[in-house]
Amino acid sequence: MFEAIAFYLFAALTVVMFTITVVTSQALYAITAMAAGMIFISAFFFILGADFLGAIQIIVYTGAVMALYAFGMMFFDTTRKVVEKRVNPQIVFVLGVLAAILVVAIFVAPIVSNNIHALYPVQEGVGNSQAIGMVLFTKYLVPFELAAVMLLVAMIAGIVLAGKKMDKSLTLMTEEDIAKAHPQHESHHSAGGHH
Amino acid sequence: MHHEEVFTNRNVTESSAYYYVDIESYPTTGWDKFKQVVRRTFSGELFIGLWVVMREMIKFDIHTVQYPKEKLPLGPRYRAVHKLLRLWESGYERCIGCGLCEKICISDCIRMDTRIDENSRKEVTEYSINLGRCIFCGYCAEVCPELAIVHGPRYENASEQRAHFVIKDDMLTPLDLLKAGAQEEYPGFGAIIPGSDDAVKKTPLAY
Amino acid sequence: MDVAFIIETIVKIVVILLIFSALAGLGTYFERKVLAFMQRRLGPMHVGPFGLLQIAADGIKLFTKEDIIPQNVVKPIFKIAPVITAATAFMASAAIPFWPQFTAFGYTVHPIVADINVGILYVLGVMAIGLYGPLLGGMASANKWSLISAARSAAIFISYEVITGLSLLAPLMMVGSLSLIDINNYQAGGIENWIVWSQPVAFILFWIAAFAETGRTPFHLVANDHEIIDGFGTEYSGMRWGLFFIGEYANMFFISFVIAIIFLGGFGDGTLAGAIQLILKVAFFFFFFLWTRAAWPDIRPDQLMWLCWKVLMPIAVINVVVTGIVMMF
Repeated sequence: MFEAIAFYLFAALTVVMFTITVVTSQALYAITAMAAGMIFISAFFFILGADFLGAIQIIVYTGAVMALYAFGMMFFDTTRKVVEKRVNPQIVFVLGVLAAILVVAIFVAPIVSNNIHALYPVQEGVGNSQAIGMVLFTKYLVPFELAAVMLLVAMIAGIVLAGKKMDKSLTLMTEEDIAKAHPQHESHHSAGGHH
Repeated sequence: MHHEEVFTNRNVTESSAYYYVDIESYPTTGWDKFKQVVRRTFSGELFIGLWVVMREMIKFDIHTVQYPKEKLPLGPRYRAVHKLLRLWESGYERCIGCGLCEKICISDCIRMDTRIDENSRKEVTEYSINLGRCIFCGYCAEVCPELAIVHGPRYENASEQRAHFVIKDDMLTPLDLLKAGAQEEYPGFGAIIPGSDDAVKKTPLAY
Repeated sequence: MDVAFIIETIVKIVVILLIFSALAGLGTYFERKVLAFMQRRLGPMHVGPFGLLQIAADGIKLFTKEDIIPQNVVKPIFKIAPVITAATAFMASAAIPFWPQFTAFGYTVHPIVADINVGILYVLGVMAIGLYGPLLGGMASANKWSLISAARSAAIFISYEVITGLSLLAPLMMVGSLSLIDINNYQAGGIENWIVWSQPVAFILFWIAAFAETGRTPFHLVANDHEIIDGFGTEYSGMRWGLFFIGEYANMFFISFVIAIIFLGGFGDGTLAGAIQLILKVAFFFFFFLWTRAAWPDIRPDQLMWLCWKVLMPIAVINVVVTGIVMMF
């Protein structure tokens, strides 16, 4: 009974939170509601006995991913409302409803046809994290390693893109060196002088 | 605990106590930076800092003055709220109403009214200092030719109104206290410095 | 799930809440006293004997102060941010075993609210959510200092979570469990079994990261008074500000518990002597937070990031790899 109560409580909370995320025009509400929704999702993992996934959900999504969103938020004036430009609200509405129906259909189909059952039932005497480790490093080893390599590639690409001129310090360079390194500055100034 | 420092020669010379601090230049190469980091990490300076504060805690050499219960001694030339003094023999006010203090006050906070009384003496009827404006520079005490206005040691100025400290009656020594000999001849700010007669040079007449 | 279990859990939660709220207040008193003694001062002296009732005076002040909501803030977020800080700090305590299990009146009590088998992961995860207090409070405040503080707290938390995670990985590999009780029992043999002897590098790294996670002095950049006033707390007043404070001090206590349990043997074999040892260890780590505040200067944000990514993280990764190699052969 408690599990049912908890499930419906967290289900309602999650839906409400993500609705706020989508509907609100205040950026700060959106990010707060989204972070709260991510935490409420972790409650489902805990209810299902998947403690490890629940904790990972909290750490990865709420702790790391949402904090990165928050960095993006720093560029907004959070005290103002975001003004959206809606060209054709009807199309957005229709497409949104269609997408929602599609998602529901995809998730409901296996349940309706009674096709869903646990491939890896809970083993007695084996902890949660061990069970995940066994699955990850046996059946899903190749996808797991592929994902790791992809993340590594993304990380190196990010460092290369962001770190192009990191070894140069404008404060330590002389005026001539700066002018040599940034010729467009010079032309910009001279162009300004003609007006 | 009056401490007098002798300032005879303030010029910085080779023999004086000043010296250049030996600041090493910033490392430029990566290897030098790495060496600096390693040296600083393992030099243990952080632990010296920890030891210093722990030593002070163990020594328990507390320097706090628990203010309302104990108070620090004031120097004789401390400049707090002004006092108006009386003449010792007659009990008359020393103030002759010359108005020099009013004139010299750089923050314009002294205000006085005078009249000629029945003995043809100039009498000060009103004398007030706006302590909200006063910067306690001491010019009024310094300029006073009669040592009438001086700076007292009273620095605890809690009252309902600021004006309470600055009416003439509050600053003036009461007559009964004067008769009891309680008025202190003030050695502080505005008073003549001991030995100042020796310091006076004759005005040269040669030119 | 029977009713007795639920009642027991609720009682435990209430007891932990009360004890650690009171300890947070007492922590401020100790901090002021210790800092004062180290700086040749006396600290609070006038309220009660040796200023002990200063805590009560502060509490009364915080509770009765006007709750000011400035005009341009985002009101709901501004109001909820301090609650997040305090709530996450106390939520993290759910998986911490504060005391070995004992029997009182014929009833065995486990002084842990929820013994989930990923305890340490849960504690660190929920402490990481504590980031949202400073972050949302700072961003909702309509104040530039608060915004800088929010940006700093996001950067520091994200970076130092990497250090806490990686440094804990090596000891967890040795123990083979994420439950704090299992980690404690792994070291039950005595001082020579403490993980700190086999994982000194991880211990130091985790300790350093603990300063960043709680925002204490060498890394006190989130609310650095001389740079950004009170950071995210600038616009707060009364009990809302007090909740930030309670959260910070509760976090200090809980992270002290975590360090003591993971690296220094926790409560050992579960006897009374072991339990008292745990309290002493926690007291030492809490005292160390105050000690460094008196002794060490704050560092710059860029130095903090440099330390995290260029020094601590490589060391942590090397530590994990070395531990793995040693365990394999």
